[in-house]
Amino acid sequence: VNAQVLQRIGIVLPLSLLVCCTSPRQAEIARPGSHIALTYWSATNAQELEFANSVSAEWNAQHPEVQIKVEPVPSGQSSEEVILAAIASGTTPDIYANVFPGAMQDLLDARGVIQLDDYPDFFDVMRERMTQELLNQYRSSDGHFYQVPWKSNPIMVLYNTRMLREAGVSSLPTTYSEFLSAAARVTRDRNGDGHTDQWMLTIDYLPIWYKRLFDFLPLYLAASNGQNLLEGRQVMFDNESSVAIFRFLHECFARGYAPRQTFQGDFFLDETVAAKFVGPDSMGHLERYRPADFEYDYGPIPRPDAAIGQPASYADPKSIVIFKTCQHPREAWEFIKFIISRQNDLQLMELSSQLPIRAGLLEDQTFADYFKRNPKLVKFAAQVTSARSIDSIAELKEIFDVIAQEVEASVVFDLKPPEQSVHDAARRSQQILDVE
Amino acid sequence: MMQPGEANRFSTLSKAIAAQRTRLRSLAKVLRPKDSATDQRDRVGYLMVLPYILHIAVFLGYPLAFAFVLIFHRWNIYTPMKWVGLGNIKLLLTDPLIWRALVNTLYFLLIHIPLQLVVALGLAQLLNQKIRARAFFRASYFMPVVVSGVVVTILWQQLYSSETGLINLLLQRFGLPKIGWLTDRHYAMPAIAIMATWKNVGLYVVLFLVGLQGIPNDLYEAAELDGASAWQKFRLITVPMLNPTIMLVLVLSTIGGFSLFIEPYVMTGGGPANSTLSGILYLYKQAFFFSKMGYATTIGFFWAMIIFAVVILQRRFVETEAV
Repeated sequence: VNAQVLQRIGIVLPLSLLVCCTSPRQAEIARPGSHIALTYWSATNAQELEFANSVSAEWNAQHPEVQIKVEPVPSGQSSEEVILAAIASGTTPDIYANVFPGAMQDLLDARGVIQLDDYPDFFDVMRERMTQELLNQYRSSDGHFYQVPWKSNPIMVLYNTRMLREAGVSSLPTTYSEFLSAAARVTRDRNGDGHTDQWMLTIDYLPIWYKRLFDFLPLYLAASNGQNLLEGRQVMFDNESSVAIFRFLHECFARGYAPRQTFQGDFFLDETVAAKFVGPDSMGHLERYRPADFEYDYGPIPRPDAAIGQPASYADPKSIVIFKTCQHPREAWEFIKFIISRQNDLQLMELSSQLPIRAGLLEDQTFADYFKRNPKLVKFAAQVTSARSIDSIAELKEIFDVIAQEVEASVVFDLKPPEQSVHDAARRSQQILDVE
Repeated sequence: MMQPGEANRFSTLSKAIAAQRTRLRSLAKVLRPKDSATDQRDRVGYLMVLPYILHIAVFLGYPLAFAFVLIFHRWNIYTPMKWVGLGNIKLLLTDPLIWRALVNTLYFLLIHIPLQLVVALGLAQLLNQKIRARAFFRASYFMPVVVSGVVVTILWQQLYSSETGLINLLLQRFGLPKIGWLTDRHYAMPAIAIMATWKNVGLYVVLFLVGLQGIPNDLYEAAELDGASAWQKFRLITVPMLNPTIMLVLVLSTIGGFSLFIEPYVMTGGGPANSTLSGILYLYKQAFFFSKMGYATTIGFFWAMIIFAVVILQRRFVETEAV
């Protein structure tokens, strides 16, 4: 009897496992009701999630036949990895509204997103928001558009203006010399124990590729008047602008204006450091947590003393895409147009302090009251059209990894002269691009 | 030499034995029931282990085979694989960073393993004595083992902080200069090795305690009668009797050391100047930063071969020493 019972268990158990592992997909697909359901992945931060929920609720109320379901993008090392994994496994949503344009080539290589300039009104919608020159930054290598440029976070330098004023610095630095001069005054030993405990600048210098998007890249765009790091598959940054940036950052570390350590917690709000590279989305956090007497302002990205021409910064933009798994792309496109409408752009600013990629933000009456209430964001808004996007190539991460390695070696640890590091970074990057 | 008559007799005898064997086999077949309880039990046994075999096949066998195929391909997960032959292996052999990672890892092991052995054995010896609050101390030393690796790493990152870390503040209190524990390439890997030892030592203390409690007390009593000193008892009784445990600790520490990842990933990102880049961190970057699955797999196989070789060498060396 025991043997029979065991035999039955032995048969039933593996079969049960097999059935569990291969449960039919039809059960998931079948949905009650005849309306169209679209899934919209949003960024996970509370502000953007609130925006996504608000916009979707409004849309759902107006369009009972096309219902939007909001989900935060699943957690992972980065949202780009999650998206690519979703493409590989065929589990992408219909719409994703936080795409890093630098990852677009990966999405195209994966044949994961649909071409948007096929829609007859695509260019009309885009021209209503931005100039052709700005739009062209988001054009893919095959000449088509697969993303809607949505929002921008132009990088600037956030200063603790009280620390600067107490150090005798009356205006925000605009050049390397001005910055270093201010840094010499701000950096000091507050408690007199013989050790520096207040610094001018904090940079997270760990050699991780994306960290250089928020210091080296804006500095490069500011120094080179918005020149790209690459042209096609040709490296263009082996030049005097890069060397000047390496020298400038090296001075910051060598003279002790930037500590060779990364801080846990917010050392800017603690008034341990007086400056850091940020986007406009930093304002929400500052306004929420700053002490009542805390003073801050945003300044331009410093440039070489001899720099002329129009400065630019890194836009840190995010785009919206429709995935190829979408069964109702036309309805998804209509919803995207709703997301980027003037009123919802205003809502985005109100909820997240992020700026829509829209020309004439400061002249448009829709946003006038917002900027009146948030004057600090005017400086960011003024840069929305001049700030640059990023080169979209599959090897982008590797190239920024190389730059991160060289910044660490030369700037932070003084193991190489800046000229050598810039040259080595450019040579290695070109080798990466030249591999078929 | 065998005579012709003897040869014939031998041949006849062999044939008779062979015929007898055949008859006995036939008889056994006839006597054995066709559907015996043994056969049933065999079948049930196979069915019972089937889920595990399936599990091994699906989650170990298939990935391993797939990974081996990947060595010869370039693949970024979301586009079709491209055959590159020995391209990944050639790249590995000429990649200075993988050799740098190997040297870094060996340097880590050179500090970590002796430190781990000495500290774990020392603590185990102490905790094997009849002292007050022994259970509390045993639990305390084991505590870091069960705390998340990332939490421990962030905690130590704060302790090691150049400007605001507790260790440097203490050094300054005693008039000593600050040390860039994680920002000086000469100190970064030793700092990580110390942290890893603190994190893992509790596990090895437990292993050594089990080993120590298995040593018969008679041996120590006999040695005492012979007038052996404490050091002689430790060297001539404790260490040889603990040899299997030492071997286990050595192998586990080595494998753990070659898997070094969380500490450099969180604390240093592999820096400064690649001085804490470990093989697994490099593999991770290739696979999940750059989507180079073929090359990452090649690194993985290379790393597994290195671990295998080092463990074999350790076993040979330690077991020889024990004899």
